Amino acid sequence: MNNIFEVKNLQFKYHKNQENVLKGLNFEIKEGEIFGFLGPSGAGKSTTQKIIIKILENYQGKILFKGEDLATYDNQFFEDIGVSFEMPIHFSKMTAMENMTFFQQLYQKKADIEKLMKRVGLWEDKDRMVGEYSKGMKIRLNMVRALLNQPNMLFLDEPTNGLDPTNAKILKDMIREFREAGGTVFITSHIMADIDQLCDRVAFIVNGEIKEIDSPRNLKIRYGQSVVKLEYSENNKIIEKEFPLENLGENKEFINLIKTKNIETIHSGETTLEDIFIKVTGVKLEDESQ
Amino acid sequence: MKANRLIYLIKGELIRLHKYKVTTISFLIAIIWGVVLYFVEGDIFNSLLPFLILVDATLMSLMYIGSVMFFEKKESTISTMLVTPAKHSEIILSKIFANTIHNFLSTALIVIVFVLIKDVQINYLLITLAVIIATLFHTTIGFLLSYYQKDFTTMLMTIMMVSFILLIPSALYAFNILKAAFWEYLLLINPIQAASEIINQAFKPIDLNWKYYFSLVYLIIGGILVYKYLVLTKFKNYAVSISGV
Repeated sequence: MNNIFEVKNLQFKYHKNQENVLKGLNFEIKEGEIFGFLGPSGAGKSTTQKIIIKILENYQGKILFKGEDLATYDNQFFEDIGVSFEMPIHFSKMTAMENMTFFQQLYQKKADIEKLMKRVGLWEDKDRMVGEYSKGMKIRLNMVRALLNQPNMLFLDEPTNGLDPTNAKILKDMIREFREAGGTVFITSHIMADIDQLCDRVAFIVNGEIKEIDSPRNLKIRYGQSVVKLEYSENNKIIEKEFPLENLGENKEFINLIKTKNIETIHSGETTLEDIFIKVTGVKLEDESQ
Repeated sequence: MKANRLIYLIKGELIRLHKYKVTTISFLIAIIWGVVLYFVEGDIFNSLLPFLILVDATLMSLMYIGSVMFFEKKESTISTMLVTPAKHSEIILSKIFANTIHNFLSTALIVIVFVLIKDVQINYLLITLAVIIATLFHTTIGFLLSYYQKDFTTMLMTIMMVSFILLIPSALYAFNILKAAFWEYLLLINPIQAASEIINQAFKPIDLNWKYYFSLVYLIIGGILVYKYLVLTKFKNYAVSISGV
């Protein structure tokens, strides 16, 4: 796969700060992948995203978009990308359809608004003022807004935050379909289950530096324990045993236990992305979502 | 800049001025002024009509653009405009031009009402030019002021304070409290005084003196400089600071 973005030694400092917010980031986003960008508040996620969608300038380092310096792109760059912000970004005293039509006319390529609105379940409410929409409806409308110009790349900030499981699934399916159609996705979210389900690769940013970057599977193997944990009952007691994965088929005690005992649970020592987030960033996710 | 995209953005702004009831409010104010002026006679009427047009083209311009910017800030819509192919200059100019058109129409309403009801002598060409130039300048200033306002109340307070400071010397001069000759020249650097100069010319027999030309050029050049070196250059920082991306 070709790289759609290559970020080399990216550094950035806000005028008011003495210290760099970004301290030499290096990563690439491959064409056709879903790339998760994770980290605690203040780690530099938003700043990085603002830079690569060209709304923050004066950075140091190099960013290549499709092999060309990002700084050389003019506003035509925005024909290629779609951005879904975390907060609602619509004119509340206009209907959803008026909002979508207004924004779409600013682009050359145009998606089928009716199809998109139907997909996120908002077609019936298309003539309602956005101010009357619930938070979940506004978030779904954000997704339609991001797809209005048939972009090649999507930037999604907490795309399922505040959605019920049914609507969150619809949005996740849309993100997967976008990837399957050849699109690339850059996503930030604190819902680790979503990241785990969606992302091909994830990067963890802490204090302006990338601490980890790999596929969720590889990270789980690396941070997990190479063991199998099982529980069985004996004399009305639950007994827990742990065995190394290495040469498990030749481990006589393990084979004997599963042959002779009433096994109640059996798990590999694989960890979760949430545990990895806590280990890498040192921050609990419940603190993040507040 | 693509002219058709700028025109499209101006149309969008005008539609939103209507949807957000700014147009309704401004036309209601125009009608209220109309009713007030209907009952005023003689010399007071002759000085009150130019004064109302001055207020509409200056202070109300600051208010309208301020309220538009406040709505946009509240709804984070500037954030989403930043990630469209529209240029910053197009986003800013569409708001300035749309507010000028809107303000011009509400001023025109006051003038039309009085031409129909009372026998008012106005030079239409000069009043049109004066209202457009004064409104463009003050809308640009209002755009700049909005960068520094945290909320609607602060914005109103700032506009009132700026207006008060600018109006006091002109009012003192008008009431002959400031008598020294140099005030006549010094006050022209006050944009409200400059606007007053070009608006008042439309109600007199044509006598385009140096004060008229100075005021006109001052507002045009001043407006362009404020737009180019302050409004445009500070726009991105402002837009990024209010965006929660």
